[in-house]
Amino acid sequence: MNNNKLLIINGPGLSDLSNFNDYGYEPLTLEKLQNKCLETCKSLGMELDFFQTDDQASLIKKIAEGAAECDALIINPVGYSHESTFDLDAYTSNIKSDTLKNKPVIEVHITNIFHDNEGISEPVIVSKSGVGFICGLGVHSYELAIRSIHEKLNHN
Amino acid sequence: MNIYVINGPNINLLGTREPEIYGSETLDDIEKKCIEQGLKDSHSVKFMQSNYEGEIVEWIQHAIKENIDAIVINAAAYTHTSIAIHDALKSFSGFKIELHISNPHLRESFRHVSYISPVVDAVVAGLGPSGYSHVIQLLTELKKQYNEA
Repeated sequence: MNNNKLLIINGPGLSDLSNFNDYGYEPLTLEKLQNKCLETCKSLGMELDFFQTDDQASLIKKIAEGAAECDALIINPVGYSHESTFDLDAYTSNIKSDTLKNKPVIEVHITNIFHDNEGISEPVIVSKSGVGFICGLGVHSYELAIRSIHEKLNHN
Repeated sequence: MNIYVINGPNINLLGTREPEIYGSETLDDIEKKCIEQGLKDSHSVKFMQSNYEGEIVEWIQHAIKENIDAIVINAAAYTHTSIAIHDALKSFSGFKIELHISNPHLRESFRHVSYISPVVDAVVAGLGPSGYSHVIQLLTELKKQYNEA
């Protein structure tokens, strides 16, 4: 039996996680996050490709390339919604590609991205394409996503 | 930990209402799994559902009074309308997670605004009915993490 292969993509800015200190992993680093994900995947018998880039073009390219080789995708696109330079169309069309169509996709964020709203307004555009959405649980956002994907892949 | 799982309007129809969106599991099935998951980690899980906004507000107020550790809330349609639930949650100082079975952001535009998201610690959506028990399982680790910090 082949192990399920999971791809985790981390977007621009996530190379430095030192600002995320509220989640019990002080100081949080990308390496700690990766180790936590590896540990969870290993306990569930899943293979993991953990990827981070500070370059938006590479992020979009990795979605297209990685999708073909993985059974599921977890993506932290960071601030695509409030960065005007981000090519949201390219991002969305890659996530909506045929290769990913029948694979679980979960968008994750370390913090609650809705906290910065001034007053109550429409939140930033999130998860237009992904299946699931998790934010605010720190490294556990990833852990919850991995567990949920594992369950999905093994129930279908 | 003492955990409240609060469900809003129409969630009692789960299993029969639009199963292609919400799945075929019933609310009773989900409740059983949450309580089972809670027992594994010695949590006391109180699972509730109401079609009435005021009743949900009173449950949150009760959670404040009783110093409940965490609230997992699926306010369903009230997510997009209720300032009363927003205000009540704001006054609850324990851990708060907003949960949705489907991902509201992928659905009609009137579901894109959440009055709940800005006042909770975390948002979990689109993981299906098993999202509930996954979240209960995670609360232990979150608690551990905060105790160690």
